[in-house]
This record gives sequence, structure tokens and C-alpha cells, in this order.
Amino acid sequence: MRLTFVALALTLYGGVAAAQQRDTVPKRDSVAKARADSAAAADSAFFAQQLERGGARSDSGAANPAPAARGAAGPTNPRLLPDLSAVGDLIGDLSPDGSTQEDGNRFGVREVELAVQAAVDPYFRGDLFLGLSDVEGIAIEQAYLTSTSLPWGLEVRLGRFLMPTGKQNTTHRHDLHTIEYPYVLQRFLGEEGLKGTGVWASKIFAPFGFYQELQLTAVDRFGEAPEGLSASEAPNKRLSGLGYSARLRNYFDISQSANVEISASAVTGMREQPLDVPLPGDGANAVNARQTVLGADLTYRWRPLQRGLYKSLIVQGELLHQFNEQMPAVVQGGGGEAAYAGPTRGFSGAYAFGRYQLRQRLFLGGRYDWLQDPEAAGSTFQAASTYLEFFPSEFSKLVAGYEHDFAPDGSPDTDRILLQAAFALGPHKPHPF
Amino acid sequence: MHRRTFLPALAALLGALFPLARAEANAAAPLQVVTSTTDLYDIARAVGGNRITATHIGEGYQDPHFIEAKPSFVLQLRKADVWAFVGLDLEIGWMPLLLDGARNPRIRPGGSGYLDVSRAVPVLDQAQGNVDRSQGDVHPLGNPHYWLDPENGRRIARLFQQKFAQLDPQGAGTYAANEKAFEAKLDAAERSWAPALAQIKGKPVVAWHTSWRYFAEFNGMNIVGFMEPKPGVPPSPSHLAGLIATMRRTGAKVIVMEPFYDRKTADLVASRVGGKVLVLPTSVGGVKGLNDYVALLSHDVRQLATAIQ
Repeated sequence: MRLTFVALALTLYGGVAAAQQRDTVPKRDSVAKARADSAAAADSAFFAQQLERGGARSDSGAANPAPAARGAAGPTNPRLLPDLSAVGDLIGDLSPDGSTQEDGNRFGVREVELAVQAAVDPYFRGDLFLGLSDVEGIAIEQAYLTSTSLPWGLEVRLGRFLMPTGKQNTTHRHDLHTIEYPYVLQRFLGEEGLKGTGVWASKIFAPFGFYQELQLTAVDRFGEAPEGLSASEAPNKRLSGLGYSARLRNYFDISQSANVEISASAVTGMREQPLDVPLPGDGANAVNARQTVLGADLTYRWRPLQRGLYKSLIVQGELLHQFNEQMPAVVQGGGGEAAYAGPTRGFSGAYAFGRYQLRQRLFLGGRYDWLQDPEAAGSTFQAASTYLEFFPSEFSKLVAGYEHDFAPDGSPDTDRILLQAAFALGPHKPHPF
Repeated sequence: MHRRTFLPALAALLGALFPLARAEANAAAPLQVVTSTTDLYDIARAVGGNRITATHIGEGYQDPHFIEAKPSFVLQLRKADVWAFVGLDLEIGWMPLLLDGARNPRIRPGGSGYLDVSRAVPVLDQAQGNVDRSQGDVHPLGNPHYWLDPENGRRIARLFQQKFAQLDPQGAGTYAANEKAFEAKLDAAERSWAPALAQIKGKPVVAWHTSWRYFAEFNGMNIVGFMEPKPGVPPSPSHLAGLIATMRRTGAKVIVMEPFYDRKTADLVASRVGGKVLVLPTSVGGVKGLNDYVALLSHDVRQLATAIQ
């Protein structure tokens, strides 16, 4: 089809474009001169080195006088500047029943991310990510120090980071294959992913011949503090109330073109859960209860090496279960009591996602979400969505998505039509595999 | 012994013994060399011989710009003594992830085994003036496809000789002898190419990507246009129309392209000028059976000469 289009366009275009063609080839003479100059300079540098060493001569003879010429001499970053980059994440919402965005806008800038990244010293690398949005203003999305010289395959990270819980949570939202995180991650971990501030330690090993990595974290708390809820004491007052997580990654190459990752995650911590009325005395309207999320994920990738520019496939799924501490129906404190209004059961959720590369810059994806929604007393929510992604280059993407949400309680289903444009400026570092 | 003095003494003893143990281990074990491409891998093997074990990340039939940073590559790199890469930002899309993931200080920037091979070659197409991404997939530091010039193959071999000798001084003599043998083999091959090179010199061709710039500088073929309007940008109809006009004007009949691009568009353009498409490997292993660097160059020179006749 594309070839037909190109052929037709060529016919129409005829020869008139010849005069418009930009000269993609530098003049050969000037190139030859530039090369000669470059080679001469490089060879001169080597010759000078040889003279300094006492006139040692190349073994290769007079025809090949330059055993080790230097090319791109000098530092490429003499001022030791960090890498600065920015990502713009623009959203359009053309849903038939009105905008489904948090701010109600049809078109908006969901977020701008600014990143500053560099080696700090021989022992650490530093990464800072600031998020700017109309809704949240400026926020420190991530800020962490990563060790670079620990032995035995160890790595330690200090600061705020996306928690290694599940597969997609460590991917920035603008860089997802879909426009939003899967619903199970939004509900169990947070709409913008689960972040934590604390310490991350990981170790890679391969006792069975394939890649394994254990990632452990201890963070200030599990998730963000819920708005409007306040318990009598901070969830992290005791060390047992901190957020803790573990993830074991197992990666296998099936062939040169295909691979699979099967991983398991767990995160636990104390979280504020609501009471029906504030407790007398301190006015606390919440009580701390332990919440634990266990999950398993599987990612299959296929990309033929020789045709890798044009064809690829990703199939991915995650299953998570949220455990909630069984709290007494009546909570006492501050000389009074209140009824517990938080979750009294566990919830499960999952998604399955696939994306196939149609052409060099065009991808078609689809996702199915299934969720026992904690925000709807565990009613089953389902959604099916499809996406068409176009990447003009590695640094920009345009996405159109359609989503059908199956209402849990017999109310009318809803449809969503979403658009996204994302772009990256500067040397934005590649995201983890 | 008091605990207060015992612990520092133990630490000092371990500190003293650890480097010795490591030096012993290093003396016995071959250097572990990982390269980004098969070309560097083959030249490293030729120079290192049996004093090194070498592996590579990319395959010869794969676009080296777009390699996935798979965790299995991390396992290759985590114990490497040398990480040799093409440089000039060829690997910028995946190398940082692998080096971060490997957690191996020896092969990080500044480490003893971090070997940017581009530092040893004269570089073409270094950017002049302001550079930005509106110019396509530009490499501001210069064109990274330098290994297709045999003179640069020699420079790479000499760089490996120096690096291996630095890390393994006991093998210096072996590395020097191997390097000399490599150059002799390349010299002999190059002499045998003389008739083919005479046929190629000055002939107009079109190339898909700038991968062929160094190859053209070496063999004298005249690249009159590229299929890509800008590096890394797929051809548009308007660009192809202009390219066809250029081919007609210059008499170019051959489109040289890499095995990992879709040749349909090139076939279409070639058919418009009565020309042909020549798919040539840019790296060792790009075609089955081409398992060493000298064979790769011999193959490409001879295929080009035949096509251009």
C-alpha cells in the first residue's frame, strides 16, 4: 500500500522536484580534503607520540604510517555540564460524554518533565526529575543518587524513585505504550505510579544461567498520603509502618529475536483508612491499617534482528492482589469511638496488553483491564481499549486511543476517545528495558 | 588482642591481600572483552588470540543504532575487562542502560576497560555550526561507520593491541605479533582488490544511509545521493523524485543499501532509472559465511565492482 502510494506520488511529482532536491552529499573534493586534513592531523598526532617515545617506527611500513591515530580528540563535555532534558506530555480528550480528565479540560498539558542527570563523582550518579502540571504545580517526581562502584553486582539508590512494583510502574507515564497506566495500577499503586522516598538496593545474579535481579526498597511510606485523611499517629511512626517492597525479575532469551520476563513483586506498609466520623479529642478521621499488594507480571517480546526496524511485538500482563488488614468494626481512640469505613476485604485486578508494529513508525496496541475496584466496594470493572501510535522519530509520538468502559453496576457503559502527543528535548536517557 | 586493635588489623590484612588475590586471578584468566559490533569483535579476536575471550552485543545483520538493551547483555558486561564500542554516539540509544545495569566500574567511563574506539580514527562528517534534531539522526561528533575503511581497521587493531598490552603486559608480545599478522592479511587482501577498486573509482552510486561514507572514501565510489533525505529519516516521495532526477543526471545505476532496511522503495527507484539495488553487509556476519573483517571488505569490494560494471 505504502509502496503504491510512493509510486503514485513519484509519478505525479515527475521530474519537477529535481531542482528542489537538497544536496545531501557534500562536495567530494571538500570531503576528501576534510578527510585528508583529519587523517593528517591524526597521523601527525601519532607521529608526534612516536617521536616522543624515541622514534619508534610502525611495523606496517611506509604505506601505512599511522598505527594509532586519534580522531575525535578532546573532551566532549569540557564544562562537565549535566544532561538536561525535557518531556512534554499533551493530552486531548474527545470523549462523547465530556472530558474524562482530572481537570475537565478537553485539551491540556498533562505534564512537563524536566530532567537533570549526570555522574556526581566516581561513586554516584545523580538523577533529578521535576514534574510540572496545571493541577499539581511543581513536584519532585524523582530525585535519587545511585551508586556506581559497589562490588558483587550490587546497586544502592537513595532518594525518591518509582518503586519497583510490577512491570509498568517504573516507566514514566509519558513513555508508556498506552496513554494511561492500567487501571489496576492506578487503583492499587496510584494514578501517576507508585513512588517512594527512601533506599533501594538491588543485586543481579545468574546462578541458573539466566538474568535475575532482586530489588528491595524501604521507603518513608506506602503511597501518597490520601487527601483529607489524618490518623492519630503517622503511619511511619514505627519502623514496621514504613513502606517495604521486593521484586524478583527473571529474564530469559528464548531466541535471538524473542525473550520473556517473568517477575513477582510485593509491597507493604501502613496506610490511612477512613473512619465514619472524626474521633473526639485529636479529631483523627482515619486509622492506620496495613495494606499489602502482591503481584506477578509477564512480558514477552519479539523483534527479529534483521527486520527489527519494521516489525516487533510486545505482549504483557500483570495480576495484582491487594490485601487489607482486618480492622475492628469500631475503632476507639481519643476517648471516643468511630466506625471503620475502610476496605474490609481484598481486591484483585489485572490487565493484558499487546502491541504490534505495523510499519517502521506505526504501532497498533490494545489492552484489556479487569479490576475489583476498591473505590466501588469491589464491583467488577472492565475496560477494553485500542491505540494507534505513530512515532515521527525516537523523540516524538502521536497516539490516538479509544476505550470502552463496562460499567460495574448496570449503569450505562462509557466510551473514551483520547489523544496524546509527547516529545522529548535534549539527551533524554533511554528507559529501562 | 584487644577488639579495638584486632578489627583494624584484620581490615588492613584483607585490604593488603585482596589486590594480590585479584592480580593472581587476572594473571591466570584471559581478558574478557565485549564489543558493541561484530567488526570490533573480529578484530579484537584477531589481535587478542587465545589470551582473550570475546563476545559482541550486536549482530552483523542488525541496525547498530537500534539494539535492545536486553538484560542478558548485562550479564555479558558485568564481568568484562574491556568494553569496546564504536562511539560517536552510535550506541547512545542503548549503551548507557547496559553500562548502568552491568555495575562494573572497569567498563564505565574513566575505567581501565572503557574503550571508545572512535578515538583512534580520523572522523568524517563532524558537525559544523549549530546542530539540532531537525537535521535528522545526526551524530554531532562525526560519522560513526568508520570500520568500512581498511585503514581504520588497522587503526582499530593497533588500538586493541595497546589496550590489551596495557591490561595484560605479559601478553604484549603475542598481541604485537597478532596485530602484525592481521595487518599482513589485510595488506594482502587489499592488493588483491586492485582491479576491482579500479572499476569502482569515480563511479556514481546512491546509498541508503551514511554508513557508506568511509567505504566510499576508501574505494573512490562517488555517492551522488542518499535514499534517506536526512540521516535516519525514511524517504519521502518528493525526495525520491529528486533522487531519481539526480541518478538520471549523473548516470548512477546502483543503489547500495544495508541488509536491515526495506528494499522495496530502493527497488522502485532503481526500476525508474534502469538500475539495480545492491544489498551489502556493513558488518561481519551481515551475510551468512562472512565471518571475519577481511572477508567482509573483500566481499563488499568485489560485489560492488561487479554491480557497477
